[in-house]
Amino acid sequence: MWKACKLIVLFVIATVCHWGFATMFSYGGLHVNFMLVFAIAFCAFARLEIGYPVAFMCGLFLDFFGAKLFGNNAFSFTIVASVVYALRQRIDFNGAIPQILTVFLLTCAVGILNSLLLIRFTSSSMWPGTGSLVGGALVGALLSPIVFAVIRLCWKATPDKHI
Amino acid sequence: MISGRKATKRQISLINKRRFLIPVSFLLLSFVLMILPLEGFVTSVKTLLSYVFIPQVRLAHGTVKYAEGVHQTVRELLDAHEENHRLKQQIEMSRLLTTQAETVFKENERLTAALNLQPVTPWKGVWAKVAYREPSQWNTVIIDKGTADGVEERSAVLSVEQGQEGLAGIVVEATENTAKVLLVRDEDFSAAVTLEQGQEEGLLVGGGSQAVQIKYLPLVAQIAKGDRVFTSSTSSIFPAGILVGNVRSVRNDASFPTAQTVEVDPLVRSSAVKEVFVIYRQQEQTGYVESV
Repeated sequence: MWKACKLIVLFVIATVCHWGFATMFSYGGLHVNFMLVFAIAFCAFARLEIGYPVAFMCGLFLDFFGAKLFGNNAFSFTIVASVVYALRQRIDFNGAIPQILTVFLLTCAVGILNSLLLIRFTSSSMWPGTGSLVGGALVGALLSPIVFAVIRLCWKATPDKHI
Repeated sequence: MISGRKATKRQISLINKRRFLIPVSFLLLSFVLMILPLEGFVTSVKTLLSYVFIPQVRLAHGTVKYAEGVHQTVRELLDAHEENHRLKQQIEMSRLLTTQAETVFKENERLTAALNLQPVTPWKGVWAKVAYREPSQWNTVIIDKGTADGVEERSAVLSVEQGQEGLAGIVVEATENTAKVLLVRDEDFSAAVTLEQGQEEGLLVGGGSQAVQIKYLPLVAQIAKGDRVFTSSTSSIFPAGILVGNVRSVRNDASFPTAQTVEVDPLVRSSAVKEVFVIYRQQEQTGYVESV
């Protein structure tokens, strides 16, 4: 019960941060996906029974604001969760470098995947621009050690290999 | 011993199944949501989600707005004296202009009645702030006003750029306290427009990452770079006379052209929309802006 409350509070804080960063950086033309950073960090520490639903809900939260396609972010976030759970058996997510690299690469991958899904399902292009995507991924990656630290602190867990 | 091994094997098999089944079920669910049409079931899911997400959205927007407010209040306090002096001058100027405008309006009313023309009515609407923009979807923004403030689906949305009001987009979804606006640049956006010179009419369509275009303009139409483009009186959604943008170029790339295609630079840039004016649907007629 206590963990469920913590999860709800973390999720709400993540949405507030996403809102703030998205609004702040969008005027500068950067695609900062804070919900993705949160989902990656959460999956790096939580068990898969909780990690996958949280990643899915984070994606659904972003889909809620879309006007063209519904479910693409939920789809890509679930794939990201699978990648994180696969990486968790090989990489130590306690270090800042693996955190930064994972977030950076997965943010770029999600940007590309979402654009491909939009082209496939709606025949419309939603490419945010290479500079915007890479710049936003870089900002997200630089934020990731803080997000990972907060989740590790709140969730009181360490990324072990037994998931 | 053997039964212990069997139990361990069963546990491993269960873990492997779980590791496979959970992601697959979520992937399937999201895939189903993607392939379903946006109406019907997806709308029901979105409505259900709005009960969960809208309070969060409001909290997030309130927090961000408050944080912005603190920074802005400090800055405003520092500039208060200078701004006060400037505003006093503007008020004096506005009084003078109001007096002149009243005379012009009365004259206009008199002439309209004499010529038996459709009277000009003000655009009534509400000012709203852009509360959220998803960075990957540049051509859609969420505003902080909804049906509770009179915003409805298919309401025209204006914004001010370079001191001029211009067409920003159209409301595509409205909840009680928020609304989603599709901006002019979006591929799904279209509006009947006329050109300033010659009053030729065409269909303005957004281009996504490509240029905004006006299609189906007659071949004989004389169009020049820089001509202003306005919404047409034949549009059922947009009031006539809203400035949309300027002609950037005329395309002549078809082998057997039957109509002209013109590229347009919208006045309101998608990335710069911060405050918008949503025109109430009942009031969508030719006129001037009047906030309520």
